[in-house]
Amino acid sequence: MKPNRNIRYRWILSILYGVIGISLIACNLFHAVDDYWSGMGAALLVISVLQVLRLIRYKSDPQYKEATDTAVNDERNRFLSTKAWSWAGYLYIMIAAVGSIVFKLLNQETLMFAASGSVCIILVLYWISYLIVRKKY
Amino acid sequence: MKNRMEEIRKDKGIRQEDFARALGVSRQTISSLETGRYNPSIQLAYKIARYFDLTIEEVFLFEE
Repeated sequence: MKPNRNIRYRWILSILYGVIGISLIACNLFHAVDDYWSGMGAALLVISVLQVLRLIRYKSDPQYKEATDTAVNDERNRFLSTKAWSWAGYLYIMIAAVGSIVFKLLNQETLMFAASGSVCIILVLYWISYLIVRKKY
Repeated sequence: MKNRMEEIRKDKGIRQEDFARALGVSRQTISSLETGRYNPSIQLAYKIARYFDLTIEEVFLFEE
């Protein structure tokens, strides 16, 4: 993605988070939704404000812009990120697989199904992703 | 893969920070490349070789 397009996309996303956040808080004030949704709205609003502050700094501070651009475009950083996601996915599958066995032994059927189901979903997603990536590269 | 990056960079009196800035990567990346912990993409390898005015084979030492 081109940098300018990426920045525009981030601005739109940040503002969207803010709008959704404020809407959820407003809905809670009028008792249309419960506290769960207003909590989520508050979190989105905080994320939105932080993102906007970062974007303003990115625009006004050349040093910060250079450091951010380097961090984003640095190929080792990307490699590390991919590697970390790969490890996280692998660990999640292992933990969920062991968890499903432990939950079964503890007669926790719901948790067992949730753990084994999530393993299946991740594996299906992996194979779908693999097939897409194989065609792309 | 072994490389001569550190040796060439020091010979030319270039600091890691300046080298990193010229290549558009972080200083940590330069450090990892020099110690051989990370192998660069073909694009970055070209950039490095071109920066030193050398060929890839002169900077990176291929071994089976």
